[in-house]
Amino acid sequence: MEMAAWEAFIRSTALHVFVRTYEPWLWPLCETLHYLGLSLLLGTVGLFDLRILGFAKSIPPEAIHRLIPWGIGGYVVNILTGILFFVGHPDQYFYNDAFRFKVAFMALAGINVLVFYSAAFREVHALPAGADAPLRAKVITGISLGSWVAVLICGRLLTFFRPPFFH
Amino acid sequence: MDPFLGWIESSALASWVRGETIGTEFVFPVIVTLHTIGMGFLAGGSAAIDLRILGVAPSIPLKPMRRFLPVLWLAFAVNAVSGFLLLSAYPTKALTNPVFYIKVCLIALAVWLVYRVTAVVLRAPDVDQKPVDAKAKVLAAASLASWVALITAGRLLAYTHKWEMLGIPSLT
Repeated sequence: MEMAAWEAFIRSTALHVFVRTYEPWLWPLCETLHYLGLSLLLGTVGLFDLRILGFAKSIPPEAIHRLIPWGIGGYVVNILTGILFFVGHPDQYFYNDAFRFKVAFMALAGINVLVFYSAAFREVHALPAGADAPLRAKVITGISLGSWVAVLICGRLLTFFRPPFFH
Repeated sequence: MDPFLGWIESSALASWVRGETIGTEFVFPVIVTLHTIGMGFLAGGSAAIDLRILGVAPSIPLKPMRRFLPVLWLAFAVNAVSGFLLLSAYPTKALTNPVFYIKVCLIALAVWLVYRVTAVVLRAPDVDQKPVDAKAKVLAAASLASWVALITAGRLLAYTHKWEMLGIPSLT
């Protein structure tokens, strides 16, 4: 396949040259950080979602919500390392169906975050210890948990859906 | 090659995990993916509990954090089964790599620390009546560190097995 202009541009950047120059140690390092980041995201957001879904109800949602900044921290690590992966080997990601599904599930998870904070956060935040969350909040957190796991699945499957060419 | 490892490697189970038969190509990606999901919930969930013990989100009562442990132990079960299947598929690759033995030790340490944090901190009858003590914080910090080391070792397996191919002496 012919190289598109956007890909040629990415390959002309200093960041691309940096990733490719230091790839032997930079790639394993970034992959490790990416796995740590996903664990932090899944561990904190996952426990919050499970609380809303009915686990550990004696924890007030407002209290366990305070773990979320650590999940956001994990997400930021993964966006940054993800950018390095993409800039280093743009063709291996762009022409990869698993990557396209991953981006779609990231968009779903992101939209779902906005829906949660605009439509459910207020009532969830006010719930005392022991209270069951309303159905609407449970549906949204169920989608959250499902979409983040789907992002992980697509990410892990990337390597099995690589395009049959290298630019 | 070691005859015992060769026997495992040539077994029907190992071949199935490697997806060598037409129609079973999905098996290896599925097992690897389950192993990663399990890692996320086990390491991440344990890390969240550790962070709370270390002072993050102090308004979370510690006692009910126990309710999340079945999720962590389920994730551990998924990873133990998927891990043994992956090991059966490529025993020589794993067992000739020193990093694999480091990973196994770190699994034992990290899982033992989940048990200790549960027994010593979360199950203490007065856990939410007094401030978290130094021993609890040491356990939580050790647990966090062991997850970071374990995930690092696991990820490096994909690279370090090449040491053998590069002629660097291996253990067996």
